Amino acid sequence: MRFIFYVIACILLCVNVLYAQSNKKYAITFYPMYGESKLEIDSSYKLGVNDHIQIETLKFYISNIELLDKGKVVWKEQNSFHLIDISNEKTETVLCNIPLTISYDQVKFNLGIDSITNVYGALGGDLDPTKGMYWTWQSGYINFKLEGKSNVCKTRLNEFQLHLGGYQYPFNTLRSVVLDVAQNEKADISIDIKQLLKTIDLSTQHHIMSPGADAIFVSENVIKIFNIHKIEK
Amino acid sequence: MKNKIILFSIACLTFMAFKSLKNISFEVPKSWPKPHYDFTKNPLSLSKIELGRVLFYDPLLSKNNTISCASCHSQYTAFTHVDHSLSHGIDDRIGTRNSPTLMNLAWHPSFMWDGAINHLDMQALAPISHPDEMGETIETVVPKLQVSKNYRSLFYKAFGDSVITGQHTLKAISQFMLTLVSANSKYDSVMRKQTQFTAQEKNGYALFQKNCASCHAEPLFTNLQFENNGLALDTTLNDYGRMKVTKNKNDSLKFKVPTLRNIEFSYPYMHDGRFKRLSDVLKHYTSGIHHTKTLAKQLEQPIILSSNQRVDLTAFLLTLTDKEFLFNPKYSFPKNNLK
Repeated sequence: MRFIFYVIACILLCVNVLYAQSNKKYAITFYPMYGESKLEIDSSYKLGVNDHIQIETLKFYISNIELLDKGKVVWKEQNSFHLIDISNEKTETVLCNIPLTISYDQVKFNLGIDSITNVYGALGGDLDPTKGMYWTWQSGYINFKLEGKSNVCKTRLNEFQLHLGGYQYPFNTLRSVVLDVAQNEKADISIDIKQLLKTIDLSTQHHIMSPGADAIFVSENVIKIFNIHKIEK
Repeated sequence: MKNKIILFSIACLTFMAFKSLKNISFEVPKSWPKPHYDFTKNPLSLSKIELGRVLFYDPLLSKNNTISCASCHSQYTAFTHVDHSLSHGIDDRIGTRNSPTLMNLAWHPSFMWDGAINHLDMQALAPISHPDEMGETIETVVPKLQVSKNYRSLFYKAFGDSVITGQHTLKAISQFMLTLVSANSKYDSVMRKQTQFTAQEKNGYALFQKNCASCHAEPLFTNLQFENNGLALDTTLNDYGRMKVTKNKNDSLKFKVPTLRNIEFSYPYMHDGRFKRLSDVLKHYTSGIHHTKTLAKQLEQPIILSSNQRVDLTAFLLTLTDKEFLFNPKYSFPKNNLK
């Protein structure tokens, strides 16, 4: 009887130590940028010579975060769905339970929500439809939402609204991003909206609100604006 | 040691008994196919169904608290809109389609006349947020529910949590809709060999099987597919149906095949409610087919029915009326819980 007690005590101790170790959370932080500067809501930015931009909303889903080492997956987040919303700075830091000891040279994630999750039914947390990232008139998540104003938009109040989504063939907008991480770097990620807006002609492409060729075109460009965030020394 | 094992077993058994009391199983009518809805993701319980029923009948879900789901889905008409060709919402705004009936939804893989909704849980979002229907958003509905003591208590009973979420709201509404099963019409009794068709109904059934059943497949009386049934485009609405969702021109003018169950009470008919009477519908199929590229192949050859045959076919269609469903108090206004 006493022996069993010792064994249980030992197991508990080990679990506790392991838990404490794994509990050291490794966080990935997303840095929304406009070129070289931090992107701030409602600040005015210059795009072209006469083009002034204001960003009012930037929200997007990051899912299936993985770390790779020499092409092999060394760590994978379970149930990995994160809504990043620049109006809520808390969401920019994604807490992952990555063991600190792990070594990796690439980080991989999806921009958007996969098709299985899209047809799953009502989900909670970051996937709750109250997050404003679910299309109500035609089922499906909005993977990426960018709203703002530009004086090249000849629309009401010069507004543009880019809502990218669609999970069904041939308009599936889910895209994956793979970034190389140098040895002394942390897998923090910047997303440069200026780089994206340079690829879009806002005078014609100012409203995307349904799955289709436009959403695919812009999604292809969005995945190019993610980079490992370099901290200036 | 032995005592502990016995205690532990008793605890387990009590827990299981409690659980089975709480969760109830969905009854599939005899010889019906397996439902499409995955009940393991949203197990039915009486308290969740009741919460869904309260939400279904509560106008709080609309922007100005005037329109509930039941406004356009009334039980006595198989949960469609009584006597309105196009359904209307808040501020007397008129929509572009006739509200569909709500029956046997557990078997449906998609919803709406154009199948734009991919899951029953997400269905309610569409009418809640459509400006011509309830004109509200789920982001606002949830805080409106949260301030109500009654709802905090109902959500607690249903989900063990009085913090209200969009997910729980939608799952509860699904649960009520899933219980709307119509499987007790005269037709069903005949199939169960409890009663018999009259000679006229029998003749009508044979005509139905020959001319209608490929799209209105038994026992749901819909094949759940999208078809162009030869209705001419209403140029005041320009509704191309399924094509809007798929952006594929092969889906032009296709709409989801509606069930024929309780057809006696679900008038007016078609996606835009253009036909008031069953006789108008039969006239359309026998002499009104508008031929376009996407027309259902079953309708390429004319359907020929004599006036006697039309009477017989109608007699059969009336055997799909399920009074038990239409007047079941389980589905009616939840007067004990909607305050």
